Order: sequence, then C-alpha cells, then structure tokens
Amino acid sequence: MPKKVLIVDDAVFMRNMIRDIFASGGFQVVGEAANGLEAVEKYRELRPDLTTMDIVMPFKSGIEATREIVKVDPRAVVIMCSALGQEALVMEAIEAGASDFIVKPFKSEDVIAVVKKVLGEA
Amino acid sequence: MNWDLSKYLALFVSESRDHLDALSAGLVRLEKSGGSGEDPAAVVDELFRHVHSLKGMAAAMQQEGIAHVAHRAEDVIGALRARGESPSVDVVDLLLAVTDAISEMVREAGAGGVPAAPEALAERLSAASSRLRGVAAPAAEPVEAAPAPVPAPPAAAPARRRTRRLRVDVEVAEGSPVPAVRGFLVLKRLEGAGPVVASVPAAEELRAGRMPGRTLTVELETDQPIPELERTLAQIADLARVEVREVEEPAPAAAPPAPRAEGAGEAVRTVRVRAEMLDEFLDVSGELLLATARLRELGRAMPEAGRRAHEEGVDRLQAIAKDLHGRVMSARMTPLTALSDRLPRAARDLARRTGKQVDVVVTGSEIEVDRALLDEISDPILHLLRNAVDHGIETAVQRIAAGKRPTGRIEVSARRDRDRVILEVSDDGRGMDPDALRRSAVARGALGADAAAALPDAEAFLLACLPGVSTAGQITDVSGRGVGMDAVKRSVEALSGKLSIESRRGEGTRFTLRLPLTVAMQPVLLVRVGQEVVAIPVSKVHGAAQASVEALDRAGGAPQLAFGGGHVPVLDLGVLLGTGPAPAGVRRSVVITESDTGRVGLAVDQLLGQQEAVLKPLHGPLALVPGLSAVTVLGNGRPVFVLDVPRLVAA
Repeated sequence: MPKKVLIVDDAVFMRNMIRDIFASGGFQVVGEAANGLEAVEKYRELRPDLTTMDIVMPFKSGIEATREIVKVDPRAVVIMCSALGQEALVMEAIEAGASDFIVKPFKSEDVIAVVKKVLGEA
Repeated sequence: MNWDLSKYLALFVSESRDHLDALSAGLVRLEKSGGSGEDPAAVVDELFRHVHSLKGMAAAMQQEGIAHVAHRAEDVIGALRARGESPSVDVVDLLLAVTDAISEMVREAGAGGVPAAPEALAERLSAASSRLRGVAAPAAEPVEAAPAPVPAPPAAAPARRRTRRLRVDVEVAEGSPVPAVRGFLVLKRLEGAGPVVASVPAAEELRAGRMPGRTLTVELETDQPIPELERTLAQIADLARVEVREVEEPAPAAAPPAPRAEGAGEAVRTVRVRAEMLDEFLDVSGELLLATARLRELGRAMPEAGRRAHEEGVDRLQAIAKDLHGRVMSARMTPLTALSDRLPRAARDLARRTGKQVDVVVTGSEIEVDRALLDEISDPILHLLRNAVDHGIETAVQRIAAGKRPTGRIEVSARRDRDRVILEVSDDGRGMDPDALRRSAVARGALGADAAAALPDAEAFLLACLPGVSTAGQITDVSGRGVGMDAVKRSVEALSGKLSIESRRGEGTRFTLRLPLTVAMQPVLLVRVGQEVVAIPVSKVHGAAQASVEALDRAGGAPQLAFGGGHVPVLDLGVLLGTGPAPAGVRRSVVITESDTGRVGLAVDQLLGQQEAVLKPLHGPLALVPGLSAVTVLGNGRPVFVLDVPRLVAA
C-alpha cells in the first residue's frame, strides 16, 4: 500500500510542487492544509504516514502544529519544509518533535530520499 | 569542494594555534594537577574539545594530514577520558610531541602546503589508544580516596537493560544544506535515548550554526542496545558516517568533586543540570513573558465588560512569569572563576614568550554573572590581558631604567555595581600615548585632524578600538592576530556594555568594562521611521531632541545639532536603514546615541517609548547584516530588530 501523505503549506504553488514530487515517488497524497490549524484537524482525521509542514503560516505556525500533532500521535512523522535562514525555526521544530527537514529549493530526489530514510525504507 | 579555501587560511592558522596553545597548556596542567586541586577530568574534557575542534577545522580546510593526526590524538584523549585517569608521563610526552607536530603542520599549511601526517607518530598514537582501550579500567579500585558511596541497585532490578556509556561519532554529508541543524537533529534524537554527557560541538554551538568539519561527537548514557541506536540514526537523512561504540564509564574519581559540606549535616543540596537546559529554560520563560504581553495587547480590543477581569488575570500572569524569569536568570549565574582561573596561566605563558616578568592578581572572581555573558566576555578579557603583557608591560630592563620594579603587575578585578558588573584590567606598564592614537586615526582617515585634536584624552584612547589604529610599533604574534581592540569593543557593546580606557604615560593603563549581569533582558527605546519600528538599546541613548533637520547648520557635511554643550552630526535613520529619507520640512525627533567616533544623532519619525525587551540572537544570514544586533518581539507579536548603531553608522 502506498504511504499516505498530508501536505501543509500556505502557498498553493508549494503544495502543488510537493504533491507532484510525492506522486512521482509513488506516495498517495491524502490531504492538504493551508495553515497550522487546519493541519492539526486534517491530521486527526486522516492519520497520514507522513506530513510535510511549512514553518511560517497564518493562524498557527508549523512549529505549533507539529507540537500538537506529536501530542495527538507521538509516532507522527512530520518533515519540516524550510528555507535557508530559518535554521533557528527548524531547530525549534525539531524540539517540538519534527522528524527531519528539507531545505528549499527542493530537489525531488532529495525530498524522496529524506522521506524514505525517515520512514525506514532506505 | 570547488570554492576557494585560501581566504579562510589565515583564520584557520590563528584559530588552530589557539587550540594548540590550549592543548599544550592543558597537558602541562594535567601533569601538575595532582597537587593543584584541579579536576583532571575537566582538563581532559578541555583537551578533547580542543583536539576535536582542530580535527574538524583541518577537515574543513581539506588538510587531511592534520585531520588524521588530530583524529588519532582525539582517540587517545577519548580513551583517557573513558578511563577517567590522568595520563602517564609517556602519554603526556606523546601528546606534547603531537601538539608540536601539528603546530609545524599548521605552519606549513599556512604557507600554502598540504603536509602529510607523520606516519610514525600516527602509529604511536594508535598503539597508545588501543593500549588504553584494551586494558579495562580498574573497575573496583577507587583511584582516589573515598568517593561517594554508589547506591546499591534496587533489589527488584528489571530485566538486564544495563545503562552504558556510548560514544556516537557522526559526520554530516558534504553538500547537506544546513549541517548544524542536522547535527542538532542528531543530538535531539540521541537525547531521546538517554542523558547526553558530552557533545562536541555543544547544542548552543549548533544553534549558532557552528559545526566545524560537519562532525559531531556525543557521549550519552543509555540502556538502548547499540543496534537500536544505530537504527534510530539510520532514519536521519544526509549522514555520511555514523559510528556508535561503547566507552568505559569514567572511574568515580573523574566525577566532579562533590560540593563540600560547610558544617556537619549542612551539605548544600545540588543537582547537575545540562547547560543547554538552562538556555532552554530562559528561552521558554522569555517566551512566556512575550506571550503575556501579547495577551495584554489582545485584551485592549475586548468589550468593556470583560476587560477588567481579563486585565487582572493578565497582571497576575505577568507577575508569575516575571518571577519565573527572574528565578531562571539566577539559576544561570556562574562565578567568574571559570574565566579568571585561566588568566594567570595565560599571562605567564605569554610573558615567557615575550621575555617579560609579570604578576597577575585577580580579585572579585566570586562574583556571578549570567553564563552567556561569561562566554561572551572570555575572549575580550583574554585579549586585554594579552595586550597588557604584550604592549603594556615593559621588559625588565626598561622597567628598571624607569625606576619601577622589574616585575610588571596586571590586576584583573570584578565588582558589582547594582545591576552591572564592572571588570577592570589594569597594568603598571608604559601607558598609552593619546597623541600617537590621534595621529594614527587621522592617518587612517577615520577622523579629521580638527576633530581628532578636539577629542578629549579619554575618547582618544578609545581610538585604539578602531580597526587598524594602534600605538604598537609592531604587530607581534601575540596580540596582533586579527582579534583586535575593535573586536573587544564590539563584543562589549554587543552585550550592551561600555568600554572605557584610562591611561597615564609611564604609569599604566586601565581598561574598564561595564556590563549588565545578564544579556537576555535589556531596556530598549522603540522608534518609528517610515513604516519601520526598530529598537535602540537604552544604555546607548544619551538623550533626545526635536529638530527640523534642514534648518540645522551643515558645517561638516552632516547637519549639526547642538546638544549637551557640543554639536553632534545628525543622520537620517531612514536613509541608514534603506527605507528612504523623510519628507522635507518636517520636525523630527533626534535620538542622541553613540558611534565608534563619538556621539551621533539619529533622526526618526516618532519616539514610541521605552520597553524591557527579551533579546533573541540573530541566526543565519541575518546575523551577518551589519547594524543589527538582536531581535525582540513586541506585545502585538511584531518582531523588531535591535540596532547596533556603531556598525550601522560605519556600514
């Protein structure tokens, strides 16, 4: 069964791009959320195998959302999508329970490599 | 790697020398530590850090030879650490020989070479480490008298999951975008497996983006089997190398000395807390204060009916948050001994190298300051000490000719002055020549001749802190190594402190550092320019005035504002920040603050008031923007940059 992915990003463009990357890597994108609040709701509902999480988002940051998701499900796998210059935020997210991170600009093979590692498939 | 490493070479050489100096000094101290009461385990830890840094730096510089020898030496020191023993004379000799060999290799590297590792030495190191690791530490035999009794394991001990000490070496893959963050991720994962005993680089280093050579070494105590830990690490991407192995528990003697009981039954109860944990506490309690302020802000928009109760609740919350913050701050206080203990040795080594005689007297080292502050002031104080030995104190012959004692005297003193700590480094050497400094500054183009002549002596001495200005006729290898007085002044100012210099020719020089006891909370003045709100540390603000900038006299190019019996140049903060000049004809507020070359006025659109701010350091590219020193968050959640005015004006 393909692994289920939830994509969280406030930019449609980014969501599309990430969706394409996962689709080409044989994953099943089961949902998308545009902010941290929605992310937590969707997570509860969908229980994905993997969540990609933007950091800076309206209503609730990716860090807060990660913290809540991990509280709901301690085994949740959340991968932070960051940009250069967000190192401090990424570290905060790691402390909040994020499993790993990727740094923009994404290369699709790098993203898949990180994800497979985290899921223990590589 | 395809970028040009040569621009890092000078820094590599000078930093490597620092580590090598520390290594040899540490080794010598370790030999003597029997009688000095110094904890040998602490010295071994220090040696480990230095050699690890050397290895990482060398690897980053593609100096494989140096990295190889340093790696072997690290193994030996790691083995010593695992055994919790002081090294034998032979091992000290070997490590001193290694230090010398690496020094020579670094010299070669500095001259553009890529020296190969001396094989014989590397082999001796390998032999020594396998000898040390092969022979199990004498388990049952207490090395020193009467360690605290080890509590017996509970009778109903659960199944055999023995707690062991593991050492994890990790190297982040080349090309991984932010290696320090990846290192941090590894460290956090390991913390999940058990308490981390040592981490090189430490968490705060990683937070600051520093991870020399992309390598991380962590020692932790865990009951997880090695394969399980390896599996955990295998799920982290971008790691080029992962090594997990067991190290021997240090013998009880290696543990830091327990606090001595003052009177019978009066033992102070203490627990050891990881330093990073204290940073985290501070961070969280700071966040709590900020969140409280945000909550207060939100309350203002509430309907009248509920507002009163909300405000009372917020008041109470704020009082508790402040109390918590205060307690965390006091838990972070560390005595200056951590710094001052290093000074006499540093001065002695240096005096020997320069052929001078120097006594160092340290007073007030029991005074406690925030540990972050302690970290930040160590280098400046060491630099001032080096300066005093190198440039201040004369040779014995010169001193006798001047009618002084042949041995120079350097005093390093610390005292409290309300919420400040005052550190002084004074010497009875030759003193500084204010005219020579004025001439040097004018020659450098830092100052006009008239302005220089008008500068009072006290300010002329500070000219020594401008890059490239010096009274020293020659640059020696001791204090002319890149970290100059400008770095000292900048460090002090970055801490919202103040540096002043008094000097009398022929009698000596006194450097005074006035510093806050803590670095995390500072009063700032908020100002608005255009749409931007920025903060200026109140410690740097001398006053404010209203003025119509165009109407001011423009004698020296910049408009001059009369203030405090003199004139200060007025600069438009909007122009400095790149948000554009203010419309003409508007009366503006001018904040009088200070730059490297004296007072300066910053024209702004509005003074928004003063506020206690929780300062957060800048990370990543922002840390490199000249003119910004930190960031804070306002009650409304808006982040605001704190200006580093001297650098902003100079940029």
